[in-house]
Amino acid sequence: MSARNKTYSPARSGFVLCLMSLAALGLLWRAVDLQLIDKTFLQRQGDARFLRVVSSPAHRGRILDRHGESLAVSTPVDSIWVCPPTFVTERHRWGLLEPLLGLDEAALERLILDRMDREFLYLKRHVAPGLADRIAELSLRGLHRQREYRRYYPSGEVAAHVVGFTNVDDVGQEGLELGFDDRLRGVQGSKRVIRDRLGRTVEDVERISAPRSGRDLVVTIDRRIQYVAHRALKSAVKRHRAKSGSIVVLDSRSGDVLAMANDPAYNPNNGAERTGERFRNRAVTDVFEPGSTVKPFIVAAALETGWVVPETRLDTRPGLFRVGKYTVRDLRNYGVIDIRSVLKKSSNVGASKLGLSMPPGRLWRLLSGLGFGNATDIHFPGEARGMLPSYHDWGEIHQATLSFGYGLSVTPLQLARAYTAIATGGWLHSPTLVQTRERVPARRIMSERTALAVRNMLEAVVARDGTAPKAHVPGYRVAGKTGTVRKPIPGGYADDRYVAAFVGIIPASAPRLVAVITIDEPRGKEYYGGDVAAPVFTEVMSSTLPLLGVAPDEPTLLAKRIDLSEDPAVLTGAPSRRPEPGFVEAAWQPGDFNRGPEQWNLAP
Amino acid sequence: MNGPSVALVRSGAVAGALKRPRAGLDWALAGVAIALLLLGLIMISSASMTPADRVYGDPFHFFWRQLVHVALGVLAAVLALRLPLQLWARLSLALFGLGLLGLVLVLLPGVGREVNGSMRWMDVSGFSVQPSEFIKIFMILYVASYLARRSEEIRSAWRGFARPLVVLGAVVMLLLLEPDYGASVVLSATIVGMLFLGGVPIGRFLVCALAMGALFGLIILLAPYRLERVASFLHPWTDPFGSGFQLTQALIAIGRGEWFGVGLGSSVQKLFYLPEAHTDFLFAVLAEELGFVGILLVVSAFAFIVWRAFLIARRAERMAQPFAAYTAYGLGLLLGLQGFINIGVNLGVLPTKGLTLPLMSYGGSSMVASCLSVGLLLRVDLEARRGR
Repeated sequence: MSARNKTYSPARSGFVLCLMSLAALGLLWRAVDLQLIDKTFLQRQGDARFLRVVSSPAHRGRILDRHGESLAVSTPVDSIWVCPPTFVTERHRWGLLEPLLGLDEAALERLILDRMDREFLYLKRHVAPGLADRIAELSLRGLHRQREYRRYYPSGEVAAHVVGFTNVDDVGQEGLELGFDDRLRGVQGSKRVIRDRLGRTVEDVERISAPRSGRDLVVTIDRRIQYVAHRALKSAVKRHRAKSGSIVVLDSRSGDVLAMANDPAYNPNNGAERTGERFRNRAVTDVFEPGSTVKPFIVAAALETGWVVPETRLDTRPGLFRVGKYTVRDLRNYGVIDIRSVLKKSSNVGASKLGLSMPPGRLWRLLSGLGFGNATDIHFPGEARGMLPSYHDWGEIHQATLSFGYGLSVTPLQLARAYTAIATGGWLHSPTLVQTRERVPARRIMSERTALAVRNMLEAVVARDGTAPKAHVPGYRVAGKTGTVRKPIPGGYADDRYVAAFVGIIPASAPRLVAVITIDEPRGKEYYGGDVAAPVFTEVMSSTLPLLGVAPDEPTLLAKRIDLSEDPAVLTGAPSRRPEPGFVEAAWQPGDFNRGPEQWNLAP
Repeated sequence: MNGPSVALVRSGAVAGALKRPRAGLDWALAGVAIALLLLGLIMISSASMTPADRVYGDPFHFFWRQLVHVALGVLAAVLALRLPLQLWARLSLALFGLGLLGLVLVLLPGVGREVNGSMRWMDVSGFSVQPSEFIKIFMILYVASYLARRSEEIRSAWRGFARPLVVLGAVVMLLLLEPDYGASVVLSATIVGMLFLGGVPIGRFLVCALAMGALFGLIILLAPYRLERVASFLHPWTDPFGSGFQLTQALIAIGRGEWFGVGLGSSVQKLFYLPEAHTDFLFAVLAEELGFVGILLVVSAFAFIVWRAFLIARRAERMAQPFAAYTAYGLGLLLGLQGFINIGVNLGVLPTKGLTLPLMSYGGSSMVASCLSVGLLLRVDLEARRGR
């Protein structure tokens, strides 16, 4: 029993228990310290590790035509990115990506191993969401995806120059996408999220700012007319083996740009095609010397002085005219002709004599008032202003050459704008490309009387014995003017390179549309504006006018029935939203006809 | 899920009660142990769900396995509850020999399995066994029986005190070869504590304690990675992405918990930030999800287990059951020390060691060993109250 007493040691076990209790208390104190006192530091450290501010992309606004048809839309896609130092640990599984991304393993290895010092590397941008799902299912460490938007252009190359395109980061690069980028872009949102260590978002903590979608941009373009214009221009450029071509169709009553196309074009959906000078919206960015297409304005200026009337006769004999040491030539000797015939035959001698008959300031004021030398108000990036020299610098020869369209330069759009004055009885309508509430008001540039007289004269141009019989549009009366302009080369003008141009106003009795067509350097046998550019006008207008429900005003052809449904191209190019005025016989109203030529008869 | 285990324990108790009406099971101790067991299961499933889903495609991968471990542990506890301590005393030397054999075998290439640079595991009929978890109990049994047999020699002769220390040294050597530094520390502290409670004169004890302290210091100095571990735990924020990574992540987890935690299942740190979230650092996840309240509960539970074990040991001493008493002291120290050290590591007051939290952390051997410890404690209590 003595052993029992000796083993009984309450003091020692109590001591050990005390030590253990102290340990427990120490641990609890430490816990209090960490959880209740030091917590701010620790929590901040934690936040620094797993709280991340991520941006949520904003939806870019659409670009819509005047009827709400999409010209540019954004669709959600995913971009695949990797964190190379983490991703490299999955090296043995990289092969799995090969069939999905079309990246072979060797290329992937080079890509990753060369960039081990980075933490963010795009593997592939803009992958279809379904494919991105399959890639994500591989759950490779260090591989992530990110929601982005890809721009898609439903009308492809048809409206490419007007709409432009964005780059891979959704920033506008050309055209309206560039010009109205601020409005379209919207504002990226940002939110705070908790990420796990593999970079996946576990939880949204707070939204710092909501993404704000960009606003839609509604343009004045009519997709159907745009399609027709694009197609007609493209085939003409091809047929005449021309360098390029442009077409602008304006609503003469408002200045709305209904169609604006150029060739060569490009497909904005295909990044590979986005090269070189194909981007240029030549109708706005490129200038040319307008040649004979300015003659109507010279005539208008002369009529405005009141010194001449359309029947005033001019002596153009012997088909050439000496100004200082220069000689102005006509194609042939037209003899003594009235002003009407100066336009109809496009006599350079007649135009020069008319031009020289006026004080330079008066001529300049009209040309300048028509917008030559001034940019339009469409706010298109890269727009050219053209050039109209000040009349102080004009010599006699300059005034003479200006009268038949040399020594100044215009864009096709500027030329179309100038013709709205003739189409609308003297009111110049500023072209509009984007629909806005505020429009630039129309300005009166010439008297209604003058404008009607010139328009009347221009109808003769399209007559059988005019310069542009090929611009005839069945069922409609056309006022127009051709231009066949020699291209400037260093030291003078080329003998064999031309710009073939045609400007048309239709229907001539009550104008709705103004169209400018330019074909640059046609290399076929034909190079006259009336042969190369005018047929494009015919082709476009014979489709467009019925589309717009414009009543025919040429009585002889009213009985003809034009059935648009037989033209598959028109149907595919222009899905109809409204009842199509495909049958035009009912659209004509006798009143249109009654406002006939006698009203325009300005003979004194 | 613990229904059957409770029933088993109860049936054992009922069987005992039928034979000896005075002796009942210590339900307070058993209850606390079961509570820790359940809390551990819940925390393991919470902490491991996301990684398990990612690695194994089954969020409950670790939960199901731990459930099997718990079942085996309860089985071991019931077995311990039913076997007389006399049997353990008689088998103590043989069991210790078996444990030593395990420690040697696990070092042999082909038998032992290397995980994270340590040879701690070996496969025994389909189960992955960690001999170091069992040698702790076997050594306690061996020393308890030694102390019971030679109490006079221990108090009077250097020899009686030195012999268990030499044996301890050999075991620690084997443990360090794995290496398993955590187990060596826990085992050494437990055995030294047992010797102290066994009545070794204070002077001799102090000399030995100092010598052992110096030895551990030397071990740390000789193996630089341990020094690095020691240094990193003192200043974890100097290198939070290198040597201090695990600890800083654990501290962040604890700091996020505050009073009541972020809520069960809401831990962020378990999402791949904190390594070993379901094993050695389970406590940190618990602290994050359940807050200070959770910590208080767990620390109190372990303190209660230690206190209860010492109470049982004293009763056994009074009843002149020295083997039972020393066993209870040893097991109490083992559970308490290992628990506190693990918690201390999680809280950043002790160097990172690779120790599990008894009754809670994921791991089969650890679970079976800690259940066995509790079972033995309950058996000691039963026999002390029966007065046999």
